[in-house]
Amino acid sequence: MKRVFLDHNATTFPSKDVVKAITDFKDWGNPSSIHSSGRRARSKILQAKREIAKILGVSPGELSFTSGGSESNNSVIRGLVNRLISKGSTHIISSRSEHPSVYKTLTHIQESFPDIKVHYCPIDYKKGLDYNFLEETLKNNPVGLVSLMAANNETGEIYDIKKIRFLIEKHTLKSRRTYLHSDMVQTLGKMPFDIKDLGVDFASFSAHKFYALQGVGVLYHKKGSGFEPLITGGGQERGRRAGTENLMAIHAMGLQFNALKNLDSKLKEIESLRDYMETKIKSSIDRVMILASDRKRLCNTSLILIDSAHGETLLMNLDLMGFDVSTGAACSSGNPEPSPVLRALGLSLKEASESLRVSLGWSTTKEDIDSFVEHLVKVVEKIRSI
Amino acid sequence: MSNTEYKNLNSDSKQSNESIKKPRVLVAMSGGVDSSVAAALLKDQGFEVIGATMQVWNYSNNPVSEDEDCDAHGTCCSSDDVDDARWVCDQLNIPFYVLNCEDQFKAEVIDPFVESYLSGETPIPCVNCNTFLKFSHLIKKMKELDCDYLATGHYAQVVLNKSNKPLIQTSEDGHKDQTYFLFTLEQEILSKILFPVGHLDKTDVRKIAEEKKLVVAKKKDSVGICFIGSQGYKTFVEDHSTEDLHVKGEIKIYPDGDVIGKHSGLHKFTLGQRRALGVSFSEPLFVRSMDYETGELWLSREKDLYKDSVRVRDTNFFEKLSLDKELKVKLRYQHKGSACKITKISTSEISLKLTKPERSITPGQAAVFYDGDLLLGGGWIESAY
Repeated sequence: MKRVFLDHNATTFPSKDVVKAITDFKDWGNPSSIHSSGRRARSKILQAKREIAKILGVSPGELSFTSGGSESNNSVIRGLVNRLISKGSTHIISSRSEHPSVYKTLTHIQESFPDIKVHYCPIDYKKGLDYNFLEETLKNNPVGLVSLMAANNETGEIYDIKKIRFLIEKHTLKSRRTYLHSDMVQTLGKMPFDIKDLGVDFASFSAHKFYALQGVGVLYHKKGSGFEPLITGGGQERGRRAGTENLMAIHAMGLQFNALKNLDSKLKEIESLRDYMETKIKSSIDRVMILASDRKRLCNTSLILIDSAHGETLLMNLDLMGFDVSTGAACSSGNPEPSPVLRALGLSLKEASESLRVSLGWSTTKEDIDSFVEHLVKVVEKIRSI
Repeated sequence: MSNTEYKNLNSDSKQSNESIKKPRVLVAMSGGVDSSVAAALLKDQGFEVIGATMQVWNYSNNPVSEDEDCDAHGTCCSSDDVDDARWVCDQLNIPFYVLNCEDQFKAEVIDPFVESYLSGETPIPCVNCNTFLKFSHLIKKMKELDCDYLATGHYAQVVLNKSNKPLIQTSEDGHKDQTYFLFTLEQEILSKILFPVGHLDKTDVRKIAEEKKLVVAKKKDSVGICFIGSQGYKTFVEDHSTEDLHVKGEIKIYPDGDVIGKHSGLHKFTLGQRRALGVSFSEPLFVRSMDYETGELWLSREKDLYKDSVRVRDTNFFEKLSLDKELKVKLRYQHKGSACKITKISTSEISLKLTKPERSITPGQAAVFYDGDLLLGGGWIESAY
């Protein structure tokens, strides 16, 4: 059975270049060793960092390699807490529709540090992010950190990070430093952006979301934006992240960043394929709603609410038919709970449990989409008839 | 009634080869050896097998205690067991899904369990788990996944009587027989249910698991109630209830009614209990009965624990009952069964008289009736006298 993978917001397969880079890889060595093999390994790390920096338009010193998005998010948030407290900028703004590595970390921090106060900016599925709330909170509180994602992993909605930076500048005293962190894990390979123009101090990226390997990511930290390391030890990454670097995965990620160049036409293609799919679904299944479809979204993501068709059941049926889709964020236990993110967006428990996330990838074809919709229609009909 | 009059559905595997499309079966997998072997046998018999585990209880939110390891938990459907089930499905190369049933489990199993203890009964949550989760929620999933059958690792057998009506018969392994927990099943779903290990002995099941090199082959059997850890049921009930719901009262001695102390909650006692009664007396005393209305805990000498008349509520029967026929009734899971006659039948209640009085017949447990090795049905023990 040919399988069709439509869950690219969960992960992507390693590209041919990545697979080749791994199989050809010969420069084994501990990048911290002084001898020749160590130096060769160190060169690979630096080379990858330089390539990534060039593509992101930042300087190599503003990047640190981590194990991925969750570690990057934890590093920034946990690594800033003591500074925020010592400066008296103890208020943090975030939202409940963030990835768990942000909102669970913030919950934990609020429990552990009584001085810290987290404000959750409402994000309604009908209206989007409440910029007024953000503005008011910035105006009235000593805010030291704003952590909001650039694009939502479940709905695909793109948030206006540049505007958030503007609001921070507008309402924060010159003497106060308010950091802006953005979990940008869903952006690479799905939308163009200029990190300097967005005005973020920190941004988290993960390799496996854009056809490189799992277990590696990169954290952008704007020059002068220090944080305490989450992992201490051997002083790698200039003391920002201890532990021997994931050499081969870093090397492969560096190469894969090159594939992000000149993606515009590809992204347009994916978007029209996604729109084609949505139109087809809406015309063949009644009582369907596509979330955030009237706002800026990632080109590849569709969060579909199908009345009276339980997402978990849809997913299992589609899996048995050869289609990989999701009911929300892939969570580690494989336990399909209704997505807390969708609940935070204001969906009822029923609506959240009747959701299906379809995320297209670079290699998704029209045939894949036609076949998927055809099967989805059948499954929905069957489930609704029981 | 002898077994030979019945056709065993589970050993009749040839049906699967008759149609072009393989029959599809959803197997409820707990991560234990029985359901794992059930899945393996069905695969051998030519079914298209789908494994599913119900995640019923969030063990990480409900830790037994911080210093105990996972083994201290009951071993049914805990996180480690989910991984075991997943591993077995990998070995069998079949799809596997985790179904989140925590809300249903809390509403249909945990809450009634706590309420039952608080009202002076001794519940058996496994029946509710079967009624509302395995054979209701999973039946729905079975249909939604286009499956023809639902299979479990229960030690029980589905057989057809002369008129091709499916009925439940006890397992070949009398010691492991689990028909006691199945009396609430609806007649209509019996034809959709397979118990692939029901005709086997536990030792045979283990042997098959070993031959097939299933990772759970040597895994210990689950004992006790899956969500009760080593802290015991009293602590569990107290953790899941407020103190104002604990029914307190006097401790009296049967039959005279002399008050010999006070107790702090009926949920702390079970009928027949001798130890930890909190009173001292010249001779051994046992819990004879509890009165939810007055909060009275009645103790008696052992000879007064025996009763021969039982009222049973919320009954479900697969076969019509008759008043004059001698039947076997099991009054708790490990009970070997006693001879009885039904004395009264109404819509959902019956009364019965035992040939010989039984010790500590406990409200909240099930009374399950058999004609030979055929499960007739059962109900919940309301009272005994």
